[in-house]
Amino acid sequence: MNFEYAGGILLGSLHAMVPITLTASGEVVGESAGLFNIGLEGIILISAMTGALGAEAGGPMAGLLVGLGTGFVIGLIFAAVCTYFKGVQLIAGVGINLFAAGLVAFWLIHLGVPGHHALAAEHQLANIATPFGDLSPMIFVAIALPVLIYLLLFRTKLGLKIRAVGENPQAADVAGIRIHLLRLLATAAGASLAGLAGAYLSIDWLGSVTKEISAGRGFIALATVVFSGLNPLLVLLGGFIFGFFDNLAVWVATMPAVQKIIPWQFIAMAPYAVTLLVVAGVIGRAKFPAAMGIPYQRE
Amino acid sequence: MNPKGTPSQNNSEKLLEGKGLCKGFPGVWQHLILDHIDIDIQAGEIHTLLGENGAGKTVIANCLSGFYSLSEGQIYVRGRPVSLKSPADGIRHGIGMVHQELALVKPFTVAQNIALGLPGSDFSFPLPEVEAKVRELSETYRLSVDPLAKVEDLSAGEQQRAEIIKVLYHNPQILILDEPTSLISADAARLFEALENMARRGYGILFITHKIEEALEVGDRVTVLRLGKSTGTRPTAQTDKNELVKLMFGEHTPVHLERQAVKSDTIVLDVRNLKALAADREPALQGVSFSIRQGEILGFAGISGNGQSELAEVVTGMRKATGGQVFIGGKDFTNQTPRKIINAGVAHIPEKRRAMGVVEPMTTAENVVLKDLRVPPFSKGTFINKSYITGHTKEIVTRFGALVSDLWKTPARILSGGNIQRLILGRETWRIPQCLVAVYPAQGLDAKAIDHTWQLLMRLRESGTAVLLVSEDLDELMALSDRIAVMSKGRIVGLFAASEATRDKLGLMIATGGK
Repeated sequence: MNFEYAGGILLGSLHAMVPITLTASGEVVGESAGLFNIGLEGIILISAMTGALGAEAGGPMAGLLVGLGTGFVIGLIFAAVCTYFKGVQLIAGVGINLFAAGLVAFWLIHLGVPGHHALAAEHQLANIATPFGDLSPMIFVAIALPVLIYLLLFRTKLGLKIRAVGENPQAADVAGIRIHLLRLLATAAGASLAGLAGAYLSIDWLGSVTKEISAGRGFIALATVVFSGLNPLLVLLGGFIFGFFDNLAVWVATMPAVQKIIPWQFIAMAPYAVTLLVVAGVIGRAKFPAAMGIPYQRE
Repeated sequence: MNPKGTPSQNNSEKLLEGKGLCKGFPGVWQHLILDHIDIDIQAGEIHTLLGENGAGKTVIANCLSGFYSLSEGQIYVRGRPVSLKSPADGIRHGIGMVHQELALVKPFTVAQNIALGLPGSDFSFPLPEVEAKVRELSETYRLSVDPLAKVEDLSAGEQQRAEIIKVLYHNPQILILDEPTSLISADAARLFEALENMARRGYGILFITHKIEEALEVGDRVTVLRLGKSTGTRPTAQTDKNELVKLMFGEHTPVHLERQAVKSDTIVLDVRNLKALAADREPALQGVSFSIRQGEILGFAGISGNGQSELAEVVTGMRKATGGQVFIGGKDFTNQTPRKIINAGVAHIPEKRRAMGVVEPMTTAENVVLKDLRVPPFSKGTFINKSYITGHTKEIVTRFGALVSDLWKTPARILSGGNIQRLILGRETWRIPQCLVAVYPAQGLDAKAIDHTWQLLMRLRESGTAVLLVSEDLDELMALSDRIAVMSKGRIVGLFAASEATRDKLGLMIATGGK
């Protein structure tokens, strides 16, 4: 194996890490506040599409902001259903996923070639040249955000409040915190990062929208959250591990020598198999907020 | 608001007053949870609120602190009418409440729990400041607690002191404590000392308890509640145990229903030295022995939580006995499955009718035949016999006066508590069981239905059923029972013939645990 290949797989892993780390660190905020959003996959998918449309209308930065906003709005709707209207979180989340799959497939037909929409180069986010190779600026965002979220959750009063409404909403209520509002905002803010991840997929990393563009990354992000035990710093590590295996399939496809021994289709299953193994190993020990998934009612 | 720890020096000023407090819907509901309660708390006094479980003490506290909304009535703080919509409103008006189920986030430290409720920027981090002030409050009020300890690592007493400090941190003028001694019976003296210390500094304190001794030991005035109504307020120094018992349990002499003496000497249910643990692994039954003959009603009196529920559960096979034996019809049925005990002829009217008595999403007919479903003629082989079940259910619904719109469509979930109880009574007694375990059988029923239930139990008695009756209602116990056993802390502390029992004697024994 030569050195360039090793560098290539590292760079690829960093790019593959971004959507998972962004989505998972947002979900850490939402789950800390007590809401479990299984609809992340759908948010990534819709935001990949709206982000691409935004980029084509106003450039790549506008596209990223549209993706962020899309995530926020969907998160807001999801959270409103699950707080003020006491909806079941699992059902609301599945609803987002089903809606997303239908909407994106439908829209892609309207845009021309069914199932695929490529972005022109000027609508894509440019990489930054570094001594280590060309890197997306979003890599730095994906590394900085978990650190900022860690500081927010564990070093500010707002973080205390968010964790309190997830752990014991009654105690938080007695302390004068507006439970539903805080859960709503924490979840929407978290979902906006899934939206950012979606826009990154289409505008930056892959340069096109397909109807399978999210490829289970929303679910892998949920697994990363389990792996992290709601610690944003571990999300960074988990995101890199999953990113590495996500990228491995691409790398193997470009290595004829390896491909003779293992077909790349087999390796393509690696990120999902690793997710399964990690979650199976961690799930019993992970400690989640006591009131997660339960709507709060005062009397 | 005044600076630290000295809310007011003007004694006898009414800090907090509730006038005509109602919870529930007057004219619509048969019983109100709170029925036009007047109560006030003065500066520098400890006002004790005394009543049985279910009398409405916690509801008053929650309404006065802004946690619950009122249906009617007005709250005044220092004479000014206020509207409390949330606990935050309560805190703003200087009302602090220590909840019975402590409102602490378990994985957080004491200081973090306090920081949660503080005003100020969301991005600030006030912990060092909070820690210093907690130490200061600990010292001032002699409530020692480590601000850096995690709540889940603290003992019950420490958690409670942490909760009190959390409330004091907001510098309230009024402190409401809901059954604070239920968690820390051994540590109570230390708490009382701290409360008296606070009252001397001008706080107004509302102290809630169901124990008469505590009401007499602590406090300046005592208000007694009974079934959502206030039965009177007395200066503590001018009242005594007997008067409080009367206020708590009512004054009229209950009727002991006429009956013939128990004819049979055959023992149906024989319980010997029974021991069992409660859900929290604490001992709930500590050696209970009794026997019930054919056609006899043995009533169990006592404040709930003294082992009555666990006793009924062990006898019906729902809870494991850790010692002792249960004989039914002469055979040992200790720790047998509920199915075997049902087959031995034991019927059960459970305490939690919605959780244990019915399957809420299932229909009325399905619930009525829940226990009989597996035998003919209710089912033949694999299939249920729908037409037979329809006839059977119709008869039970008619005979017991339940209001059900459709036997096969109405789920038990949407039935009222009273109608559910009628269905359970019907299901459990139509066969005339050998033994009936009835826990609070008349709870939530209206006067007419209570009368029907009592007559039903008396008819079963005539037919030779041995009845184990658990109740908190002295009227019911004295009307129905042949003998009454008083339970306290998992033991029978008194057992006497119902015809010899008086309300005072019974009430006193219940309230004091037979001491």
